[in-house]
Amino acid sequence: MDYENLWLILGMALVTFLPRFLPVAFLSRREIPEKIKMGLEYIPVAILSAIVFPILFFDAEGAFGIQPHYLFSAMPVFGFAWKTKNLWGSVILGMLVYWGLGFVV
Amino acid sequence: MDDHPFRDGAKAALPVVLGYLPVGVAFGILARKAGFNAFETGLMSLLVYAGASQFIAVEMISKGILWFPIVLTTFFVNLRHLLMSSTLSVYLKKSRIWTLGLLSAQLTDESFAVAVSDTSKILDRPFYLLGLQITSHLAWISGSVGGAFFGSVIDHRKYGLPFALPALFICLLMIQIKGRDHVGIMVMAGIFSLFFKWAFPGNWCILLATLFASVIGMVIKLKVQGSKLKNSSASALIGEGEGGGE
Repeated sequence: MDYENLWLILGMALVTFLPRFLPVAFLSRREIPEKIKMGLEYIPVAILSAIVFPILFFDAEGAFGIQPHYLFSAMPVFGFAWKTKNLWGSVILGMLVYWGLGFVV
Repeated sequence: MDDHPFRDGAKAALPVVLGYLPVGVAFGILARKAGFNAFETGLMSLLVYAGASQFIAVEMISKGILWFPIVLTTFFVNLRHLLMSSTLSVYLKKSRIWTLGLLSAQLTDESFAVAVSDTSKILDRPFYLLGLQITSHLAWISGSVGGAFFGSVIDHRKYGLPFALPALFICLLMIQIKGRDHVGIMVMAGIFSLFFKWAFPGNWCILLATLFASVIGMVIKLKVQGSKLKNSSASALIGEGEGGGE
């Protein structure tokens, strides 16, 4: 086994672990002020939105532009997910539409 | 009623599994091409377990870049987990530090998003989170090792598989929309994210857009509540002749 690769993996593991661990370790032991709690309440919706929209408007190389294949697959999923809140249904529907559009786009 | 938090969590992970397997396979193929063997590929998926930065790492390795810039890039790419970890702290006040350590080692965008889609299930139930995360993690590891072994036989770009995770995220986003204020946060975070992605290439957009959108949302909510509080105490003064009973 290549030791250089091993050190690389351990280094990456450490710097990934710390930001995942330190906030929960410290904050779970403290009373969090009401104001901060209010901000924390918005984080899930903000993170998800910040993840989803770049997928629809940036290509794999990071260039800005409408991604028709992704955008047209996303539209029915938005509607279906809003109505049903069903994870499996959304994933299957999204894959089907994406797969079907593959023959057209 | 029987409580099976671990099993419930493992079940909740299944849509994530469907998304992780093909992406894991893709990672395994690329890692193999970059010179990793199947063991190293699996070890990285076990210990690092962060999709985006693993892809970036093998990309940099194949370009001959040394370990330090790769580790530094990994650090910045994964800083966004600070916010998820902070959010989870609200629900894990009673857990031991070792449990928290294990749970946070497996924190990913996807498992976080599933976990907060119903916070009643994670409140002081670390085993639910553990079931959810271990199941997702196993899918990621087996996908990447499978890709490293059989990469040339499987085509992970077929059958709509590339859209499994985006569809999962879209549904999880819709689950989070519980009021008009959430729609506002979604629009703000979306626009900020597109702007930051355009301005600073890479993964910064998630961290920055989330910070900006949730802080602005918090300030607006405090303002709205403040004016409501004033109004209600004013009407209490007029109505009952006593005020400030907040």
